[in-house]
Amino acid sequence: MRHRKLTGYNWTVFIILAVGSIVMAFPFIWMILSSFKTTADVYAYPPRWIPSSWDWHNYSEVFRMIPFFRYYFNSIYTSVAQTLLEITLSVTAAFALSKLRFPGRNFLINLIRSTMFVPMIVTLIPLYLLVSRAGWIDTYRGIILPQIFSAFTIFLLMSFFVTVPNDLLDSAKLDGCGYYRILTKVIIPNSMTAIGTAVMFSFLGHWKSYTWPLIITNKTNYRTLPIGLKYLVQESSSEYQVMMAASVMAILPVLIVFMFSEKQLVRSVTLTGLKS
Amino acid sequence: MKKLVLCMAVLLVAGSLLYATGAAEQTPKTTPRPAVVKLQVWYAMSGASGEMFVKQAKEFDDARADIELELTYSGSYADTATKVSAALLSGNAPDVAVMAAGQLYSGERGDFSMEQLIEDPEFNKNDIFEGMWEYAKYEGRIASVPYGISTQVLYYNKKIIDKAGIDLSNPPKTWHEFLAIAKQAQQRGNATNSSDFWGFDTSDGVWLIKSMLYQNGNKVVDKQGENIVPVFQDAKGIEVATFWKRLVDEGVMPSAQHNNAEKKFLAGNLAFIAASSNRISRWTTSDTVELGAIPMPSFTQRSLALGGNGIVILTQNEHNRQAGWELIKHLTKTENQTAFALGTGYLPIRKSALDSQIVKDSLATNPNYKVAFDQLATTWAYMHFGEMGSMDANFWYALDEIEKNVLTPAEAMDKAAKALLKEME
Repeated sequence: MRHRKLTGYNWTVFIILAVGSIVMAFPFIWMILSSFKTTADVYAYPPRWIPSSWDWHNYSEVFRMIPFFRYYFNSIYTSVAQTLLEITLSVTAAFALSKLRFPGRNFLINLIRSTMFVPMIVTLIPLYLLVSRAGWIDTYRGIILPQIFSAFTIFLLMSFFVTVPNDLLDSAKLDGCGYYRILTKVIIPNSMTAIGTAVMFSFLGHWKSYTWPLIITNKTNYRTLPIGLKYLVQESSSEYQVMMAASVMAILPVLIVFMFSEKQLVRSVTLTGLKS
Repeated sequence: MKKLVLCMAVLLVAGSLLYATGAAEQTPKTTPRPAVVKLQVWYAMSGASGEMFVKQAKEFDDARADIELELTYSGSYADTATKVSAALLSGNAPDVAVMAAGQLYSGERGDFSMEQLIEDPEFNKNDIFEGMWEYAKYEGRIASVPYGISTQVLYYNKKIIDKAGIDLSNPPKTWHEFLAIAKQAQQRGNATNSSDFWGFDTSDGVWLIKSMLYQNGNKVVDKQGENIVPVFQDAKGIEVATFWKRLVDEGVMPSAQHNNAEKKFLAGNLAFIAASSNRISRWTTSDTVELGAIPMPSFTQRSLALGGNGIVILTQNEHNRQAGWELIKHLTKTENQTAFALGTGYLPIRKSALDSQIVKDSLATNPNYKVAFDQLATTWAYMHFGEMGSMDANFWYALDEIEKNVLTPAEAMDKAAKALLKEME
């Protein structure tokens, strides 16, 4: 194996990247260190980097204060279900809106786009009323279904689907493919980078969703992790070290999703910079 | 900023409440009492406060075979406001809620039955500080029961004060006297030669300005006929706003940095801070600051605006109302409420608490509590009304514009009053 000699330029790039990496990794390192700290350590000034004692007490405190595993299961269950449904809905919608021509298409696109300008708090109460009338309070359906439409995901996918050459679609049609097979055999395989990115954004959004699950659930059995995390801190005096311990454990599924979709995400970012 | 978020949330749900007025049933249901009354209780308290509340509520649950509690954590104050509003509209409201500004929800629906409930001799309403009752009122009528209550306290960093050679054994009585002392602390107390060193700041300007207004003989809002109108823009109000500007102009208080005030104080870069009384316990045990506290200065009369939460009964079902009232009596018993308050950083609501052993113990271990307890007799709350969240948001903008020299104190107060009036219309 041939080793390239590090030039001055390379060293400069290396140092810049190393500094950037440290800056990006800093919140995670701080979170992990804080999860072992005492209250005095957390509020110490100047900041105390290394905990005065490495104590697992904060982790046991999380399990004492909230039904962590129940919340964990609920978060995984609802986030995975919401992501799957949202991606399915968004892929089909994006395909129809980007590749098919039908009356009212532009109106539909503008209608979907307009939903991006309405803050969630405005729709919260009407949505609650609908879900309440359907009898979905304190149900997984109530948490999952109202949150599976995302204009952002549809437009993200549309922007990739339009780059798939129409010639490919025409060839598929000549070979006897219907819309379903065109979508599954042509569009999706050629857009895996975009779909991977959409999966990651979608999962992250649902994983950290707080307000809707809080509003729609009253029973512990249906509550998700962000509600549990919020319970660990109070308005007046916060035990941040306990919240950090819970956050360390809560971040694991997100890291797993990121590890699986990282390659797609990086490729999608690269592709957006290419000219056809 | 938290306060502003709460204000905005209250503002957003105010419209919904008007609709809820029509949607909610106003006549109590008379049905046979079930053997066990199931009582839904939502509480906007987390961490140690939430745990303490749940513990005391469960004690009640265990002691009463005829009442079964369903306890639900409802998020922060702002989250709870949204959750309760939505639930009221759809008829899923809890029977009882422990929340900030809960009286808006019963009062706006014309439900003042709390006025009858508190006449219960077992409750002893006269034992609760008068100012606390003001905090539980909606448009002048009692619509909730005070519970997790706090006031602001003027804390100081002993090291800074000692270095500046200031004697606080005879603390300043007026804000003008205090300004001179804070300036002295700033000029002589900067031990670390920090470029970001200040004499005074508050972590909640909106809360403090309301106390200052009342201290200067201004009621913030007043009732004219049937309507509530802002009065904070009158001459007395402008005097207070002008003093606020002086704090900035004379370099004692940083401009528009209230969000960082507590960090500055704990970092030793702030001599005095006006912050919630619930900081006493945490800051006393902090190894970053040697904490002291003095009574809050005033203008013409001693007075402090209250903050915190109360308990409100939302159900119209007579049996659940009665069960809810039994729960309130349990939670607000002197020994329970005092233990809750001191264990969580709030202040006792009952006068009899001051004679209790737990308060005496707290005073023995932490003299700073004395300042907060002594202030209880001078607490006060302005008249609560539907648009008070909007008023707080307008105050926040007014103080920001005064501090940044965008508007004169008179212009800023006038603008805030006009914005509030427009909102009310």
